[in-house]
Order: sequence, then structure tokens, then C-alpha cells
Amino acid sequence: MTKFTLKSGSSITKPFNKVWIILGVLLILIVTFSFFIRFEPSLINLSELGVILEKMFTPKGERTWGDYFGFVFTLWEPLVSTLEMSLAGTIIGSLMAVPVAILAAKNIFKSKFVYLPIRFFMNLIRTIPAMILAVVAVYFVGIGVLSGLIAITLFTFGIMSKMLYEVIETVDMSPFEALESSGATKTQAFRYAVFPQIFPVFLSYLIYIFEINVRASAVLGYVGAGGIGMVIKDNILYNYDRVGATVILLFFVILAVQFMSNYLRGKLQ
Amino acid sequence: MTNLEKVLKNKPKTWIINSIFTLIVLIAVIFSFKGSSINMLRFNSIGITIRIMVTQMADLNIDFLFGRGVYSFQEGVVFLTLETLAIGFLGTLIGAILALPFSFIAAKNVVGSKFAKIGETILVIIRVFPEVVLALVIVKGFGMNALTGVLTIGIHSIGMLGKLFSEAIDNMDKGPLEALDAVGANTYQKIRYGIIPQIAADLSSVTLYRLDINVRSATVLGIVGAGGLGSSMILAAENSNWDILGTIMLAIIIMVLIVDAISSHLRAKLV
Repeated sequence: MTKFTLKSGSSITKPFNKVWIILGVLLILIVTFSFFIRFEPSLINLSELGVILEKMFTPKGERTWGDYFGFVFTLWEPLVSTLEMSLAGTIIGSLMAVPVAILAAKNIFKSKFVYLPIRFFMNLIRTIPAMILAVVAVYFVGIGVLSGLIAITLFTFGIMSKMLYEVIETVDMSPFEALESSGATKTQAFRYAVFPQIFPVFLSYLIYIFEINVRASAVLGYVGAGGIGMVIKDNILYNYDRVGATVILLFFVILAVQFMSNYLRGKLQ
Repeated sequence: MTNLEKVLKNKPKTWIINSIFTLIVLIAVIFSFKGSSINMLRFNSIGITIRIMVTQMADLNIDFLFGRGVYSFQEGVVFLTLETLAIGFLGTLIGAILALPFSFIAAKNVVGSKFAKIGETILVIIRVFPEVVLALVIVKGFGMNALTGVLTIGIHSIGMLGKLFSEAIDNMDKGPLEALDAVGANTYQKIRYGIIPQIAADLSSVTLYRLDINVRSATVLGIVGAGGLGSSMILAAENSNWDILGTIMLAIIIMVLIVDAISSHLRAKLV
């Protein structure tokens, strides 16, 4: 530690920079975690990367470029079902999240015994990856769009309930109290004092989650939950060019959804 | 009619547009159920399936948990969970380091708004590819191991981290930089005392948030062979080994809850 003595006689000690502690912890974590990543040079074959990219983005064997892009047009049906299951899942899941989020908000229900168990339940659902929800759903209702829809619904419920209760807690409660003191019931007060404050945020989150869900549902098909992912899974072994064409389509669809989502959310603010 | 009633009557009729919009969305939702088929054989036995599943899931496979008995230690859940954590952590670190140069290219006050558009576009393109698709390609070059997972998460994180980093850099105050210029600081001193103190907290907060997301996604990347819990999990689910799946899910829940708690605790301290 360095000590500075001023001309007046008083001295200042430069405080110890905590960054070194943070960097030390980081270094220990890096070294520890590196033990779990087995580095096997025999498995690494970088030339394969070029080969697979070439296979993906050029037509295979006898096929022409016409066939390559022609395949995209056969993807209409899985594409629509991917979008449908994201939309329906987003809306149903978000609506399911509303009552739960209200129960979990500290400022509406003040009792610890209400909001703590609800929050724990919400966290529990949020930890399960959408892919696993889809696998279990496939087990229950069979291969198809419905499993994807169930998975997306639960996934949306998890995110939305958390985001929403955090918004409800930041709401300005004075209009609510004003209405209650003037004789409104709790429901009426909620409808006219809290609802207008959270509705635009709710819509904005809904659009944002829809964007996430399109991306997620595009790969859910990999475990049999319908949509574009199933096309990728079906072709991954022998028809890399078809996988490539699907990825290109997916790229533009997600890009379009992202732009639409940004535009709509910009308008809401 | 009093004045108050008049005002009430002149309220804009937004409910018409609102109900039309609601109706359209409702029709879209109903329509999406039309295309969904259901396997009645499985659906009818849903009650029994759930009962079997829940009882077996609750019956944890202790041998599998610690990698004892018929399982080697490297197949055990404890090892795989730590491996998943390692993938998430190292992936986030690589992503954050790689995102820094991109974020400076995408920041308006560093390169000007024209170049920033190019940087932003690059970040959007990186962000668009789903992780699983990215992993499918990378696994060919780096083989079926955890390294693939680290690289996938690292590359995928660039998109989101780069965007949030560049926003933090955009919000930077130029005053300290000008002051340092005025007292004759060199470039290193300007970065060290003018830029880093301003953005370090924001950048770490964003990275910690991303760590939370990445640990979650590291749990499923194993599906395409990128290491971690994913491959055992998908295998157990497809072969209805519910005791194994239950053990894995328990591990995931504990891991994610701990990472979530640490990440949000540290972020609360940073702000």
C-alpha cells in the first residue's frame, strides 16, 4: 500500500484496489473449470468445418441450385406451424402468468405466505429448459405441434410471470390507495389504477417473448415437437444442403420477426 | 346532462378496435390448435404415465448421482453438472472477451453512426442463429466434447453481449475524457482512468446476467453432442428412465437456482 505525505503534514493511504481480489477469484474459477473441459487434439479437425459449411451451402450431388432453393418452398407448412405454436404458446402462457404474477407481487398481497411459495414455484418452472419440457410433452401427447405448443406455453409462463411481477412491484400505488379510500373494491381499484400502468409493459414483454419463442420453437422440433426443427433433424445425417437451405430460411424469418418486434416495441414506448 | 356525463360520453371508442384486434389474435390461437395432432393412445394413459413418472422421478438414482457402482465418475451427475457449469462459465468469458471489440465497432460515439450501423448488423446476424444450429456445425470441427459447447456459447453470446456492451459505451459521459485530454493524459491513461471506470460496472452486470442465461442453455446443448448434462438427459427422457431424468432435473434446478442467486446478488451490488 502506498502512502502519500502532503506538504501540510497529513498523509493519505491509497486504498487497496479490490479489482485484484476479483481477478484472483476469476483466475481460480477459470483454472478449476478448465479441468472439466477435456482438450483432446485427436477430436479436433478444423478442415471438417469448411467441408460441412460447403456441404450446407451448395447443392448436393446431382441437385442443382434450383433444387436447393426449391426446397425452401416445401418448408411452408413446418414454418407456419412453428410460427403458430410460438404465437399461441406466447399468448396462452402470458395469460396464465397474469394471475400468478399478481399473487407473487409484494405490494398487492402483503402476506409472506402468499408470495414466497408462488415465487419458488415460478423459479422452479423457469429452471426447466424448454427442450426438456418438449421431450416430456412428446411423451404425453405424441410427436407433433401440440407438444411444442405445451412446451412453449410453460416456457412463456415461466419468463412472463417473473417479468410481470417485477413490473407490478414498481407500479405507483397511490392511485390504487386513492381509489380504495374513495370506496372502490380491490378489483375495481386494480382495474383502474394498476392495470393501465402495467398493460403497455405487458404487451411489450409479450412481443419480446414471442421473438424468443420463435427462436426456441425453431429448434424444438429436434426432439419431435413439430415445426422447422423436425426438418433439420430429418436431414442432418444425409442431406446437409437441405439443412443449409432451412437455416437460410430460418435466418430470414427470425430476422423479420426481430425487426417487427423492435418496431412494435418502439411504438409502445 | 351534466358536464361530467358529457365528457364520459365523448370518451374515444377504443373498445371497437381493441375487440377486433383481440378477435384476430383469438382466431389465430384457435387456428394453431387445428394443425396439432394428438396421439390418443398416449393421451388416454396420461394419468398413469404421470403417476409412474412422478414416483420414479422422486426415487433418485443415487449411484448415478455420484457416479458410483455401474457408472464411472465421469458419467455421474455431479461431474456432468460441474462440466455444464464450466461450459456456461468459460463460454460466457470467451463471449465477453470477443464481444468487446465488436461492441466498440457498434458504438456510435466511438466510430460514428455510419460505421456503427455496420457493427450493429454484424451483431444482429450473429444473434439470429439458434444455439443448437450453431452447435451442429461446430461439433463437426471440434468433436463431441465440452469444448464444442464452450465455443458455441462463446460465439452465440457475442451477439447479445456486443449489443448491450455497445449501449453501455454509448451512454458513456465524454466529460472525463476531455478533462484527461486537457491535463495531457496519453491513450492508455485515457482508457484506464476515463473509460474503464465508467463502463466496468455496466459490462460486468451484463456479463453476469448472460452467465445466468448461458448456464441454462448449456444444459440442453448436449443434445447435439456438445457436452454437459444434455446428452444423458435426452437419452433418459427418450427411454423413459424417469429416475435418471429426475436426478438430472434436480441437479439442474439446484445449479440454476444457485447461479441465479449468485448472479443477481452480485448484480445488485454492482448497481
